[in-house]
Amino acid sequence: MTKNASTDVLVIGGGLAGCMAAINAADQGVEVTILEKSHIERSGAAGTGNDHFWYWDPEIHPKFGWTIADMVRDISFDGEYGKTKGGLIDQELCEIVAKGSMDAVKKLESWGIQFKYDKIYPWNLQYESPKGEKKYRIVPQFQSEWDTLNYDGRDIKKRLTEQCVKRNIQIFNRLAATSLLTKDNRVVGAAGIDMRTGEFYVFKAKVVVLATGMDQSRLFMAPSGNWFNQQSPPTVTGDGEAMALRAGAEVFILQAGKTSNAGFQYFKNLYRSSGIATTCYPAGKYVNSEGEVMIKHPAVREPLRKKRENVEKSISEGKTPFYLDFTDATEEEIAYAEWSYGNEGLCWVILEIMKDLGLDFRKDAFELALEPTGRLTDGFLALWVDTDLSTNLPGLYACSPVQFAGEVAAPTAVVLGWRSGEKAAKYAQKTTDPLLDDKQIINELERTTSPLKNDDGFTWQEANLELNNIMDKYKRYIAGFNSPGIKDEISVNGINTCLDQLSQLKSAKLKAKNPHELVRCNEVMNLIDVATIMVRASIEPEQYENDVWFIGKMDKKQPKFKKIPIKIKYPSKEAK
Amino acid sequence: MPPTFNDNCITCFKCVEICPTDILQKGEKKPVVAYPEECWHCGACMMDCPTKAIRINLPLWLRPLTKRVKK
Repeated sequence: MTKNASTDVLVIGGGLAGCMAAINAADQGVEVTILEKSHIERSGAAGTGNDHFWYWDPEIHPKFGWTIADMVRDISFDGEYGKTKGGLIDQELCEIVAKGSMDAVKKLESWGIQFKYDKIYPWNLQYESPKGEKKYRIVPQFQSEWDTLNYDGRDIKKRLTEQCVKRNIQIFNRLAATSLLTKDNRVVGAAGIDMRTGEFYVFKAKVVVLATGMDQSRLFMAPSGNWFNQQSPPTVTGDGEAMALRAGAEVFILQAGKTSNAGFQYFKNLYRSSGIATTCYPAGKYVNSEGEVMIKHPAVREPLRKKRENVEKSISEGKTPFYLDFTDATEEEIAYAEWSYGNEGLCWVILEIMKDLGLDFRKDAFELALEPTGRLTDGFLALWVDTDLSTNLPGLYACSPVQFAGEVAAPTAVVLGWRSGEKAAKYAQKTTDPLLDDKQIINELERTTSPLKNDDGFTWQEANLELNNIMDKYKRYIAGFNSPGIKDEISVNGINTCLDQLSQLKSAKLKAKNPHELVRCNEVMNLIDVATIMVRASIEPEQYENDVWFIGKMDKKQPKFKKIPIKIKYPSKEAK
Repeated sequence: MPPTFNDNCITCFKCVEICPTDILQKGEKKPVVAYPEECWHCGACMMDCPTKAIRINLPLWLRPLTKRVKK
């Protein structure tokens, strides 16, 4: 049973980026439809809130000598993030995010999200504002300077949903997109499955915007052993990337490798607790097992980097594990951190769980996951877009995932989402009516729903575990087996074995008892396609030269990769 | 396994509607956790429950490990 619909702009993914894209597209006067695999009110990385938003304020930051160029340079090279991912930032996109961040904040405020307060605290940036005007609570969380807003963002998705409804944007919840539809190399819509009814949908669209999120959950082994216990939404499983690859889109790939800096983001075991260890400003500090303070303000990125020697020293002296410790903080500082946690997606529930477990920041120190230098990292893949958020395929735009435009954080999603909506709507206004390829639709229906007919196939969990096994092997081959920080030459034989096994896995029959399981099967099928391109890319010889940065184009037989030099507009200050 | 529902539940099934990972289904007296192993422990259900009928229980092996510093 197939259902048909048509629209001007089809946005796939209704998180922060997708909602912003849809709202701005609708404001250009075109018809907009959102496909959301979860439910739009609580979906995406900000589904249960966001409490930190980096921005550049033309009224404030110039007075402190902090320019947009400084910010881009800091994110690219000199700040905490820049140091970790040195030189991987697309500075043009990053500059667009920085320049658009103030407008984004003002828009969110106008939709009922509170950013300004009567009271600001001694640990917030102290700045002059006209008499009686409320102020932003600015902290130095993300970059080297004070440019991150703490705010009441718990219901940000509810407010965005209201704006979508107000504009008559069609929202399909529980609708998992499975395929981009193409005709003569142009993207003309998408197909998908309703996760609850199992109905197969065909959407005809003048233009498609991918906003499926910046991660490939479940591609690699989960550190805790539980796929659904992690920072990014477990529903962000590379669907957009896989659909785009199958349609012929160019992508950006960050290879697996080894970290060059020690980092701490999570409570031990609870990998979904990201934010709890980095949003603790000003109350929390990192201590070693002897109670010695290693980092006084872990939320402040620049000092975190400078204090890494303390971390490494404690590791070498055996003074582990490490703890997040609030016990010396004042009541006011703890109250601020708890307010902040209460608005941060993955933290509010931890405060509630702490009540049930009888835990209290005033008395208890919390063990942190130890992530020493040289830890193997996972790989990552995203769409390659130009500054209009347009991909190489006519009719396809993307705002998330795209090549690194800044930290993978709310401002990137909000600003790039907003921009992609406008650009896509303008494309829709000048383009012709799309035509669908009926044969392609029949093939996609067969491909995506076949697990329902297979009684003798493998479950999605079996296939996913096998995928994790292959990717674990790939990760070790690409990163080398030697001492931390040293990148060996990869074993081409080893990588080829991974490719063979991926190809066998792709041809394995999957089975699903119901539409929910069918969507999980499709997620695994998508992850296998993403994995295949990522692993193939690693044996391109160019890969060795510049560590991790290259783009590739999916070819049905053999992908051809072209290394794109990173344009540096704002070189590192420290390198001078 | 998470989440759990108490007798305050008025079977409005807002939690079933919004659960990000689609683990909940409508039951006769309460929602049913159909896919407990797919819970993200995000708390969206608890956040939107109008009668405070939901708690999230972390499995033992995901609970925070702590040490008491001050009595």
